[in-house]
Amino acid sequence: MSSVDAATRVLRGRARATREIVTPEGVTLSVELAQHGERATAFMIDLFFWFCGSLLLFLTFMVLVVRGWVSIFAVSILLFISFIIRNFYFIHFELAWRGMTPGKRIVGIRVIDRHGGPLLPSAIVARNFTREIEMFIPLGILLSASGAGPIPWERLMLAIWLLSFVALIFVNRDRMRAGDLIAGTIVIALPRQRLLDDLVERQASFVFTDRQLRAYGAFELQVLEDLLRRPDGPGVPLILGEVCGKICRKIDWREPVAEADRLRFLRDFYTAQRAFLEREQLFGRKRADKHDTAGDGRQ
Amino acid sequence: MSVEALHEPQPAPGAPPPALPDSAGITLKSSEFRRTREAGWRDLERLIDAAEKRGIRALAPDDLQRLPLLYRAALSSLSVARAIALDRNLLLYLENLSLRAFFVVYGPRSSMLEGCARFLRTDFPAAVRAARLHLLLAVVAMAVGAAVGFALTVRDEAWFSTLVPAPLAGGRGPESTRASLLAQEIFAPWPGFGVALGIMANFLFSHNTLVGILTFSFGLAAGVPTILLLAYQGLMIGAFVALHYNRDLTVDFLGWTAIHGVTEIGAILLCGAAGLVLADKMLFPDRYSRVDSLARHGRRAAEIALGAVLMFFLAAILEGVFRQLINNTPGRFAVAAVTAIGWFIYFARPFGRRR
Repeated sequence: MSSVDAATRVLRGRARATREIVTPEGVTLSVELAQHGERATAFMIDLFFWFCGSLLLFLTFMVLVVRGWVSIFAVSILLFISFIIRNFYFIHFELAWRGMTPGKRIVGIRVIDRHGGPLLPSAIVARNFTREIEMFIPLGILLSASGAGPIPWERLMLAIWLLSFVALIFVNRDRMRAGDLIAGTIVIALPRQRLLDDLVERQASFVFTDRQLRAYGAFELQVLEDLLRRPDGPGVPLILGEVCGKICRKIDWREPVAEADRLRFLRDFYTAQRAFLEREQLFGRKRADKHDTAGDGRQ
Repeated sequence: MSVEALHEPQPAPGAPPPALPDSAGITLKSSEFRRTREAGWRDLERLIDAAEKRGIRALAPDDLQRLPLLYRAALSSLSVARAIALDRNLLLYLENLSLRAFFVVYGPRSSMLEGCARFLRTDFPAAVRAARLHLLLAVVAMAVGAAVGFALTVRDEAWFSTLVPAPLAGGRGPESTRASLLAQEIFAPWPGFGVALGIMANFLFSHNTLVGILTFSFGLAAGVPTILLLAYQGLMIGAFVALHYNRDLTVDFLGWTAIHGVTEIGAILLCGAAGLVLADKMLFPDRYSRVDSLARHGRRAAEIALGAVLMFFLAAILEGVFRQLINNTPGRFAVAAVTAIGWFIYFARPFGRRR
């Protein structure tokens, strides 16, 4: 996968951090870690849903059951209802939607087991319950400014407590919060990949020699693939012309390529190059890029 | 349909037509490979799309049966493609498809109700049983604290104000008389349903829950603060008992405390045990890395802590409602005994099958 990774790094600018999991079948799959911003966004969306739900239930409760008394009990009951709802919310959705809450689904991220095992219900319970400890309960105590609350040094400690948990996500490599640490999970991004048409040309009008095809490696091939897959745009013919010229110089292609034939030439070159490199790879001579000497066959 | 059948090239509806016999053209192994397998991938993709959108229950029984077979076929395609193909789009697609299928095939199977029932029925008691040594250590820490607190306060009541912070003392202290304690604390009048509900709802934010949660979380700090917090809780309990002992109210006070204290102190001890499990597995990771060891046992510890929060909730109901309703000491002891026996049977499972 190294050539794919290398090509991705060039084509997408800054690549995401990836981790590898091994499925029970023994196949290694690489997953992309979710970014801090994505996780924060998903969390905000979930908080919004939770807030609306709690408020609705609270208002119904206040109107139907206990019309009249407000003050400290109202606050307590609101906190209580919100506690129940948010735990049901997170745990229910992560179980039913296999590691996604509505917020995570909108953003396109999900929770998985760190080593690729099945995501167990106990892990989901653990990671969400730890969220209570690391965030909601300290926050609730800090915000509930009732007179009978804890004494000030406890509040200070709670503030430090909250901050250190937020800091934890930024200091560990896998961007785990305390809940992920305890439950053995990570949060990944899973953008959808579509299968596009094969670029291989069946009828070749340009024929290349092995010597010419040896000029490039898998990395260049995949960058060329990306260029050929690009939808038509204003700049594309210009780039095609430039790339075409460069390749011709590199492989000593003497005959000039007409402007109308450029795309055809490049596709033929792609096909021939891929056929050549894949054949070489089958014989154990992998060639990662043009600087790689392993596939030269001349050493 | 067998697994072998899926690996075989098979013409499927919607598959591209067979390759034209071309003499001048080039045949790429990877293209041929793709042409013969693509129908299976598309089929899997369709199933996964449906499962992701409407849940796995939306799939027809026939599709459900094919899903794991198609998933394994996709994985094997990925392995082959990695060896023979240099088509970046194809490799990325297969990896993405396998990953998405993997999450559908190996996703959690139970609904929340099943999960909760399972948690209460087996997981929570089993986690507590597995942590019994840690629980013992927590009990010892608190008992030592209580003994020291009692010994200090019974001789010099000035210790009471030192050990118990003012908000918790709630006006009680060395200057309290026997009569004032009886009237305002032990047999205080029933304040009404509203206040009781308030106390119940307030359980989450009460001092004891906070202490329980801190006790658990401080396990991450190697467990020393956990032990200290447990001992400090013991000190306060000891001081309270001594205050009442000096006024000949020990039995009534114990009844007043025990009706919810059995559950509440039990919950604090469980939080402490969970914190000590975290500390233990972090300090002594055995043959795993510290992070892995924490992940292996952290779930257990979190289960104990979650169960303990439920116990705090029960304790709040006992405190807010039953303690005020049952206004005599023998009755309170009876309820306390029932809860103690109940918890013992629940956790230790002396009868019936153990998991």
